[in-house]
Amino acid sequence: MTTATQGTPTEGTATGLPRLLPRHGQQPEDWYAHVARVGRLPYRDAPGRLISDLQAAGLTGRGGAAFPVHRKLAAVLEAAQARRRPPVVIANGAESEPASDKDATLLWLAPHLVLDGLQLAAEAVGAEQAILYTHADRRNDVGRRLRQAIAQRQAVAVDRVPVELAEAPPRFLAGQETALVNHLAGGPAIPTFTPPRITERGLAGAPTLVQNVETLAHLALIARRGPRWFRQVGTEAEPGSMLCTIRRSDGVPRITEVPLGVPLRALLAGPGEQGLREGAVLIGGYHGTWVPAAEAAKLTLDNHGLRRAGARVGAGILITLPQDRCGLVETALVVRYLALESAGQCGPCLNGLPRIAAALAELAGARPRRGTRANVERWAGLVTGRGACHHPDGAARFVRSALTTFAAELGRHERGRCGATDTTPFLPVPHDPARTEQDWI
Amino acid sequence: MLENVSGINSSTALWYASRATGVVALLLLTAVVLLGLLVTRQGRLPGLPRFAVTGLHRNISLLAVAFVAVHVLTAVADTYVHIPLTAAVVPLASEYERLWIGLGAVSLDITIALIVTSLLRRHLSRRLWRAVHLLAYASWPVAWLHSITSSADMRHGWMFLLAVACALLVVVAVGWRQSAASRDVPRAERVGLLMAAVHGRDRASRR
Repeated sequence: MTTATQGTPTEGTATGLPRLLPRHGQQPEDWYAHVARVGRLPYRDAPGRLISDLQAAGLTGRGGAAFPVHRKLAAVLEAAQARRRPPVVIANGAESEPASDKDATLLWLAPHLVLDGLQLAAEAVGAEQAILYTHADRRNDVGRRLRQAIAQRQAVAVDRVPVELAEAPPRFLAGQETALVNHLAGGPAIPTFTPPRITERGLAGAPTLVQNVETLAHLALIARRGPRWFRQVGTEAEPGSMLCTIRRSDGVPRITEVPLGVPLRALLAGPGEQGLREGAVLIGGYHGTWVPAAEAAKLTLDNHGLRRAGARVGAGILITLPQDRCGLVETALVVRYLALESAGQCGPCLNGLPRIAAALAELAGARPRRGTRANVERWAGLVTGRGACHHPDGAARFVRSALTTFAAELGRHERGRCGATDTTPFLPVPHDPARTEQDWI
Repeated sequence: MLENVSGINSSTALWYASRATGVVALLLLTAVVLLGLLVTRQGRLPGLPRFAVTGLHRNISLLAVAFVAVHVLTAVADTYVHIPLTAAVVPLASEYERLWIGLGAVSLDITIALIVTSLLRRHLSRRLWRAVHLLAYASWPVAWLHSITSSADMRHGWMFLLAVACALLVVVAVGWRQSAASRDVPRAERVGLLMAAVHGRDRASRR
């Protein structure tokens, strides 16, 4: 397994994939390789024109929320025209989920596709300013790679709107839209209450469009190849493809582009692996949902198909928990991390998540007290829907799904036993919580 | 006979009503300010959850506005002294007690702004709502001054003590709020402290 990239891209399963990442190799694409692969940048030469194509394509945000892209662009364009204020466009590459690597991989291997999308989105809403917001290096020097790419584009004079680079602090919430705007305005990367929506009043009061970097890459291809091409893969309701970060029991992240609606069974068991009969699968990352493997094997990767398991596609994170690990221990470690990543603003999140984390640590140990499980369920209900952002909601969903999926394991712990034979943590969890305000800036 | 004993008759009823509702309105507004200060510190009242304190603050403020409305309308309707309706909202528009009635108008204007922005809060930015809401700190002292200055009732006897008690309560509450705010843990350090506290307590209680 090569480690030249953040994750390891693998060939997709359907014809015509991968669309976003270079088909072969791990080598980052320069401008010329990029143009040779996907063609020149098809500017539309006026705001608004791309939006109907995006609507016909049915592209939704790939950052996790799956919001229709054309509606966001139309809202920003409308606000900009109504208030006669040029909007700002921000490419969001602050992929804060520790288990996700798809945005970093995309930026590393195909930065020009993202930068194309940023230019086209800027043109579509009439923006005069564009920002690319990413985390600092995880493994590769993405920042340096992007500076080179931007310099190369300047040399060939392809960009019509200047692009600035901005670095996100290493916080879980740094990619949340309002936190991102706060950070770019010079403050801490903490979420604020809406309204006002940032599409109305965002950075410095300007209408602001924030799109995930993968979304912009899809947008750049739709602008070239049209909505019908985009709909050749995926489902009728959720067309297109998406990048997934898949971790099977070996723990190695694989970045794969798959059509929406693909059976999870095809993604989670490697060739020759049996898999997916016992154990559990985490769908959607640390704000996502644990699903028993037997149930996950019957699901497809689209929000409609995942709904019956209470899960969502999110940012395309799929993790198989090896059978030698304890789901409760893993969940407790992640929830501790989520609690430490609370912005500390809203009472239910600030007070609730640490308690839930402590209770889960107890459930993950031997012979937890009676009532602790009921407490966790009650507190999970109390924090849901009561924050400026969805951090408490996502954490609560994750915790609740763990309690049902690992019910048998809970019973073992009550008897003082644990099903794990390997106690090394499996899910990636950063160990550098914020201590001062500076850690948020 | 009774009318003579109490001093209330058909020609003075409105006047008495205005004075009485004015006093009640001051008490209610004082309660609103005290509850508001409690809300800013996310404080609780015995036996009530936090959200109920917020609800109490909101509902008493609406009740106070009802009393202020009766207070103003009866004063205008009363014919013993002439106060035009405009004087209720336009400062210095009254011939009678020009300055003192004017204070009441200022306070009422601010109160209306507070209520309207709070009712529309969903549609406003938090910053704008908060900026307007801070005017409450100006509205209450002006209302208090209006009470003391435009009514002889409140300058004497137990009514005067009541007014002084209201003022003292508000001053003490503002002082409490400020000193509590200065002891605040910085936002970025709150979660860490709570995590340490919760996990520590958990370990201790299981020993």
